[in-house]
Formats: sequence, C-alpha cells, structure tokens
Amino acid sequence: MSISSERRAPGTMTGRDAFMSNIASRLGRRTPSQTPPERPFKGAPEFYTERRMTQEEHIEQFMANWTALSGKVLVVSEAEAPAAVAAYIRQICEEHGITRITRWEHEELIALGFDGPVREAGIEIVPWRGDGADGIEPGPSPSGEGGVWQQRERLLRAAETCRLGIVWPDYAVSSTSSLALFSHGGKGRSVSLLTDALLAVFRADQLVFRIGEAFEQFKQRYPDAVDMPASLNLITGPSRSADIENDLTIGIHGPGKVHAVIIR
Amino acid sequence: MSGHGNTAVDERIGSGLKSRTKHALNDEFLRKAVAFTTDKLKNGRLQAMDTFGDWEAWRERGRAIRSHTIANLDYYLGQFADNVVQGGGNVYFCKEGKDAVRTFMDIAERNKAKLVAKGKSMVSEEIHLNQELEKKGIEAIETDLGEYILQLARETPSHLIIPAIHKNKQQIAELFTDASGEHFEPETKVLAEYARKKLRNYFLEADIGLTGCNFGVAESGSITLVSNEGNGRMVSTLPKVHVVVMGMERLVPTFEDLEVVLNLLARSATGQKLTTYTSILTGPRASGDLDGPEELHVIILDNGRSEQLGDPIFQEVLNCIRCAACLNVCPVYRHVGGHTYGSVYSGPIGAVLTPLLQQDMKEAGSLAYASSLCGACYEACPVKIPLHDMLVHLRHRKVKMKLTSLPERIAFKSYQTIFGNIKLYKLATKSAYYMQKPLVRDGMIKAGPPPLSGWTQSRFMPMLPKQSFRDKWGALQQELASRRKEGGKR
Repeated sequence: MSISSERRAPGTMTGRDAFMSNIASRLGRRTPSQTPPERPFKGAPEFYTERRMTQEEHIEQFMANWTALSGKVLVVSEAEAPAAVAAYIRQICEEHGITRITRWEHEELIALGFDGPVREAGIEIVPWRGDGADGIEPGPSPSGEGGVWQQRERLLRAAETCRLGIVWPDYAVSSTSSLALFSHGGKGRSVSLLTDALLAVFRADQLVFRIGEAFEQFKQRYPDAVDMPASLNLITGPSRSADIENDLTIGIHGPGKVHAVIIR
Repeated sequence: MSGHGNTAVDERIGSGLKSRTKHALNDEFLRKAVAFTTDKLKNGRLQAMDTFGDWEAWRERGRAIRSHTIANLDYYLGQFADNVVQGGGNVYFCKEGKDAVRTFMDIAERNKAKLVAKGKSMVSEEIHLNQELEKKGIEAIETDLGEYILQLARETPSHLIIPAIHKNKQQIAELFTDASGEHFEPETKVLAEYARKKLRNYFLEADIGLTGCNFGVAESGSITLVSNEGNGRMVSTLPKVHVVVMGMERLVPTFEDLEVVLNLLARSATGQKLTTYTSILTGPRASGDLDGPEELHVIILDNGRSEQLGDPIFQEVLNCIRCAACLNVCPVYRHVGGHTYGSVYSGPIGAVLTPLLQQDMKEAGSLAYASSLCGACYEACPVKIPLHDMLVHLRHRKVKMKLTSLPERIAFKSYQTIFGNIKLYKLATKSAYYMQKPLVRDGMIKAGPPPLSGWTQSRFMPMLPKQSFRDKWGALQQELASRRKEGGKR
C-alpha cells in the first residue's frame, strides 16, 4: 500500500571542494575518502535490540507510557472498531466543542466509515486530499487580505481551522509510546500538527518495541533514499513546554490532547 | 550581541568573567531558578537512565558512533551532502560564520522574505544571524517559547535546553503586556495561551522557516529535528522555504545509529524517553504532497570546527550532541547560570568549545578557569567527552602562550622553586607563620589582603599552625607505633 513518491529534481551544491579537502587534510588524508569506513559496531547495544515481547505486553506498555504523558487510549476489537471509532470522535468533539476536523486520506481510515456518522453530528470533515477543502470556508490570513497565508493552498488553510486531526500511523512504538508517521500524499503532516487534539487509530500488530524497528521498516519500504517520504515523524505525547518557570504547559504549539484507538 | 542582564556588563568573555560572576551570585532569583532547574533535569536524567538497562553500554555505544563519525567526517559529510542534493535539497558549505550569513541573506533576498520564523538553532546564535537580519530589515522571530521570551527581553539564553530559566512569571507577563498592549496576569496558562496564538500567526505568515539540525543522517541525507513544543515541525512544514543551518559535525552514519543518539539525547537532556516530536526530513515536499516546504536549503558550517579535527586532545569535543547534561551537574554552572560565560555555549561544554571555536585563548580561554575540574561533566556526558581533561589542557595552553597575568606567572614560578626544594619549603612555611600574625584573629584569618581577600570575602581561613604536619610527623609516627604495640598485647 506504499505509494512511492516521485523522484525530485536534484538540488545544487556550493563550495564543496575546498571545504571537504580541508577536512580530509586535517584528518591526515590527501583526498576526501570515498570508501565506506569499516564499522565493527552499528546501532543500539545488542541486549536492547534482542528484546522480544508478546502483543499483549506491547499493548500494555504502550498504554502505560501514553497515559503517563496524559494521552488517552481505547482498545477495541476488529468488529467493534467502526462504531467505536465513530463514537469516540463524536465524544471528543462534543467534549471540546469541536465542529471541524481533518483526517488523513488513508484507506484504513476510510474503511472504518466514520465520515457519515460524524457529519450527521454536524461536524465538518476536511479529508487530506486535493479537493478536501471544497465547500469549506478556510481561515483568513492573520495579517488580513494579501497576507502570505492568504495565498497558500486552500486545503492547508482549511486544515488550520480544524481542531481535531485523525491519522493512521504506520507503526506505534511501545517502549516510548511513539506514533511513527511516514507522511506523503494523503498522509499530510499538517493533520497531526495544526489541531488542538490528535487521534491515532492503528492495529495492535503495528506495535513494535523500539523506534529502531520503525526505522528498519521505513528503510525496507524505501530502500532508495530519493524515494523516501519527505517527512517521517515520531510523535510521543502532547506538545509541551517548561519554559515558563518550569511549569509544565501542555499544547504549546502542536496538539495538547492526544488520543489513541488500538484495534485488537 | 544583545545584553544579557539589565545592567551593563563587560561583554568580553575573559575580562568580564569576574564581574558577570559577581552579578550572577548577587541575583537571588537566578541562583534559585538555576539550582531548581538543573536539579530537576539531572534527576530526570538519573531516573531515565535507571529504567533503560545498562546505561554504560549505551554511553559507550554513543561515544563509539560519534567518534567514528568524526574520525571519518570526510566520507560521511560527502555522503550526506550528495544525498541531500539527490533528494532535491540545496547544500552550501560555509567556512566561516559570515559566509553562512551571506548565504542565508541571498536565499532571503531571492524569496523577497520579510518574515523568518526560527526554530531553535544554536548555530544561528553562534553566527549572530538575527542581528544581521535586523540590519537588513528582515524580521526574525524566535518560536521556541523560551527563546521568544528572551527575544522580547533582548537577552540571550542562560541554558541550552530551558533558555529562559532566569525569567519569572511576573517579568514574562510584563514582556507580553508591553509587546501586545493587552494586560496579562502572571499565570502560566494565560501566558502560554497568548504565546500559542501569537506565534501561530508567525508560523502562518513566515516566508522562510529556519531551523538547526540535531542530526543529519548520512545514508539518506535526512535532517532530524527534535522539539517538545512542536515549533520545529511548524517552521519546517508551513513556510514555503525551509533553511537548515547546521554545524558540519552534526551527523550520524545510519538510521540504526540515529536510534542510539535520539535515545541518549532525550534521556540526558530532560529525562524523557523520547522528545515529543522527532521529525526526519528528507528533501523538500515530493510531488503528490499537499504540504511541506517547496525549497530546502542546507547550510553546513565549519566556523572553527575543522581546527579540532586531527587534534589528539580536542577532536572528541565534536562528539557533543548538545544535551546540556554537563551544565546540570556542573558545580560552577549551578551557581552562576549561563550568562556568566558570556558565550552562546555555556557550562563545561561551553568553557571548552568557546575558546576552540573562536580560536581565542586570550579572552575566551579564560573560561577554562570557570570550572572546578571535578569531572562531573564527564560522568554525565552521554558520549563520554573527557571535558575535565580538556579544561586542564586549555589552561596549559593559556599558560604556555604566556596569556596569564604577570603576577600570576611570578607566583607560580616561585611556587615551583619553593615546593621543589625542601630547605626553601621549610623556610617558607616557617616565615609564613610569622608573616600571618598581624592578620589573625581568634585563630582565623578573617580579612586578608589581595589576593587572599578573594578567599576571605566569603569564608574564613584557618591560620597556619606553628608546627606543620611535616614537623609533627616524627612524633606522630612514634605515637602510632606505641599504640599498635599496646593493641597487640590485648
């Protein structure tokens, strides 16, 4: 189900030769090395990479870590999922008075079929696709008519007015309770960034123990770097800051409320 | 550089060190805030280490990865740059700070930029980019909450991770009130809400997003950014142009290695298992993407770093991952905070890095004395940089270059002569006993003349005894021997 992103035109390089020659000469080489250096080691210590857990342990760990960061989790069965997710979205919206939400244009989310029941509750949905903002009034530019924001894509501006974003992460990491999002195309990065609240829905078999396992999957799916999605995001809890007298502030720039539904 | 306190102080790193220290020691709020914050971060780190298995094994792996990368920087930097370009980004190698500033100005001009939204970037502070932008009439807004507060106050960071620890709520409320014309109560929630709204507008309206780079991944040409607030994501997602300014050493070879340094960084900096947002950015937006910057520019800066390569003592300083764990455990930093150092980089790492990057032993080299050589920094360092050894080597360098004061050099010369000769030593200790007499009250020296006054200002000094330990040793030895005998009889 991976959509390989189209290759980008190569960029430019400036000032390389003198810069690299200097580094090589400081390191005692006549020219910059072109051969991959020998490596006796790589990555995390073995005692860590060899750890294995059952799916139940993964779920337990993810829940413990996620809730410790003030996140909420709901675990449902495959059969319950469509109704439960729709109900959960309506509940979040009601709780915070949310009337407009955005979601990834992702086949798994579409298959859950929550758009209908959510719209019935009077909530507008901006799916992350080219025509997603049709019929939606996007927000004005903060600086008024003619501002930079006013000239940006309608979809982006519409998403910025949404207060809940829904994503289907590619992986979830139990040891840190992180969501791994490989963002491109319908899986826009703004959906997990601009809203007040975030909801991630995923299956229990997408849980891995380490962030390194998510990286391995990423590299396997995109073995050639030029095909990699422009953004891989790991999201670990709500946006936070301690910059005002060490008081923990939640939701400073990104979503301050984070929810997860795990489908077992 | 803009001032750091409210009072005018000597901005020269070395010459102003004493007056800045005095200033900091007299600031009761600062001292409490720094002690509280560093304790909190330090304890967080200890707790995170505890739950993570064999911390020493992690640390050793972190050191090995960073040392390997630096020792082969020509290969990895070349690979990284090639991959950035392949992925559609533009790479600019800049030898000096002013080259990087000029490169940034060119990009800004080409894009007719009026507003730059900045994520946290120590390198941009190192090259004083904000001041240059201001001169050109381009508004640069710091979007990290702490940095934003400092920008309003026109001050510099006092901690790498929590830049505005020296500001209290009342002061922040006043800054926000002045900036907006609205009135703000000194309540964290209210202040944070205002900052969220205000800074959101900057994210939306910025022509350029500027960030640093926590780690570049050589095998893919990816830029890794970490932030807890999400401002790093905002400025690298919303504006049409994303510019990265990074030190040339800020690389890891592969994603496998990235896992290690991300774990070490989060746990060492704040005690989190992972920083809230980790963004791994590979090229500008791809076709089919509906958000993300259209242009990506990566400015790679040397600025004194390559001078450390091949240096048997100092090459490892480039291993640093900027976690600030060494600040939190340093007894000197904990008393005086970051401004005293007079440099963008403070604490033990700042005391080593500043003279090396600036290649200035005369002024910046004085920072090597703002340390107690206790080695706590080394023990806390997640990549095992021997900072305490480097501090000694820097002091040595300063002495060898004859950059210490003449009286100090004479004093140490005499010290060497006297302590190297038993007769002179005996004579000196005897005469010191008689010379101190006019100063002694109740067995203590309570107010000495300079340079002794530096000590007696804050504590008394016990008088030298008439008989030194060395003189007593013969009698003590006999006493000890006779006690042992008695003990043996029982």
